[in-house]
Amino acid sequence: MAELQERAEAKSEYKIEIHDVFFDYVQNKSKFAALKEINLNIKEGEFICVLGSSGCGKSTLLSLLSGLNHAKSGEILLDGKKIEGPGTDRAVVFQQYSLFPWLTVKGNVLFGIKQSGRKLGRKERSDLADKYVESVGLSGAKDRYPSQLSGGMKQRVAVARALALESDVLLLDEPFGAIDPKLRLELQELVSKLCTEHHKTVVFITHDVDEAILLADRIVVMEPGRIKSIHKVKLPHPRVREELVGTSEYEKLHRQLIMAFYDQVEEQIDAGVAL
Amino acid sequence: MKKFFQLQRGAWLEFGLATILMIVNIVLTLTFPYFTKHKAYYDSAAYIAVLFGSFVIYVFSLFWTKKKSTNDIAVVLYGFFILWEVSYKLGWVHNDLLIPSPEGLFHVFVEKGPEIGKDVWGSIQLLFWGFLLAAVFGTLLGLLAGWIPRVREVLLPISNVITLIPPLMFSAYMIMILSTFRQAAIAVIFFAVFWPTFQGTVVRVGQIDPSITQAARTMGVGTLGMLGKVIFPYCLPGIIGSISKSLRGAFMCLAGAEMLGINLGIGFFIEKYKSFADYRCVLAGIVTVGFITTVIDLAVNKLKAALIRWEN
Repeated sequence: MAELQERAEAKSEYKIEIHDVFFDYVQNKSKFAALKEINLNIKEGEFICVLGSSGCGKSTLLSLLSGLNHAKSGEILLDGKKIEGPGTDRAVVFQQYSLFPWLTVKGNVLFGIKQSGRKLGRKERSDLADKYVESVGLSGAKDRYPSQLSGGMKQRVAVARALALESDVLLLDEPFGAIDPKLRLELQELVSKLCTEHHKTVVFITHDVDEAILLADRIVVMEPGRIKSIHKVKLPHPRVREELVGTSEYEKLHRQLIMAFYDQVEEQIDAGVAL
Repeated sequence: MKKFFQLQRGAWLEFGLATILMIVNIVLTLTFPYFTKHKAYYDSAAYIAVLFGSFVIYVFSLFWTKKKSTNDIAVVLYGFFILWEVSYKLGWVHNDLLIPSPEGLFHVFVEKGPEIGKDVWGSIQLLFWGFLLAAVFGTLLGLLAGWIPRVREVLLPISNVITLIPPLMFSAYMIMILSTFRQAAIAVIFFAVFWPTFQGTVVRVGQIDPSITQAARTMGVGTLGMLGKVIFPYCLPGIIGSISKSLRGAFMCLAGAEMLGINLGIGFFIEKYKSFADYRCVLAGIVTVGFITTVIDLAVNKLKAALIRWEN
């Protein structure tokens, strides 16, 4: 009874709870522990950036949140319920775009709308799809196929498709890693704006310190298998990069993150770990 | 329209050459006398019709594609016809029973037009049903086995053994056990197409970009939805692309089965006139088979282009 009450209280406070999560990859009898004892609570509407170098387990953490992989021990709760597999209550954007090549831009978004399970007529669905396509600025390209789009445009479609699921939670796995810097900035601002508008709870994986500062409410820095430190970002929204650079708060945070981040990279090099 | 009739200078020259060769062919068949005692006269009308018909197709595809090779093919073709005509009429060909004149060959289509038409139609019907059944079931089972490891581990070893046996070897047995020739022919085609389609689909499902299926899973797509709404459309270009290859295989098996004892179809036509020692008709039958397979090939490519708009 007491435990139930506790759960109920926890539910009111946190959207996502990660308790003592452990995960290892098993290959040819050798085991590699990707995550050890991860604990993290995420509030509703919070924008979390998970920052870390390659191989620190940040993508593994996201795959557990998305339900594509299962924690070997510990548990992850969403709205107080244990995550058992993939579901439409979480939308995922991958680095490789992973659009459906046989569907147009609008078709891809419609797929998301249909999967969301809302009871809508044909016309309503179509209008809604147009709205999402417009919100990522692709109205002019809505009848094109993914093979006819640039990387940046593809990722915009992936974002629109994820939004179309209308889930409370949005998970992004290094979504802009393969996009050139100028476009990346545009996309970062777009995602930041849309997530605030739609009041999403976001977990955003990145290895880019500036990206994390621009987007996050809290930045979780990871070292291999563990959370190293958590940094609150108190800068006001909307954040514009040119305005931030040079302010003392930004510089301080940037320095802290670089210290936390590169410390660990140096340790890895010393230990002879391949990056 | 203006662009349609534009060609490079060299292309115009070769086009002129091909046209002259075509006209030489017509002049030869109408006026060139026979210098040999071994001769069989046939009306030139069918041959001239073929020359004209091929010329129309040639001109159209030349201006449509602007390919140099189209010109080259036409020159080679009309050159070959000249050689054939002249060597027959000069008596270089000593046995006109085995090697007919071009007039004689194409005259078969006038003499036996309805019979060839009926046989071709028969073959196409058998091909259609056998192929349709095999393609549908082969694809369905292939999708299932490609996606579900347990099904695959059972079916793939079995199919590996069966596909090693040439499907034509089943033919004689099929003709024995099935009550009608029709059923037997369809069964033979089914076996010729089913297993390769199955294996091809399994391989294609295995080559799916895993990020696509992962994305679908995160959007709550279940097993059935995955097969029907994700894996099938993803594999469709490959499936259609393999149609022309497996149709060719099916046609070969059908012709074989018809020769073995089915009393219908173009294979039967060839076999029948072979036993009458009428090689003029045999050759005409072979030309017909070539013509049909080409038409089927073209139709499949058009179908692919119409259906698959997302690939460049």
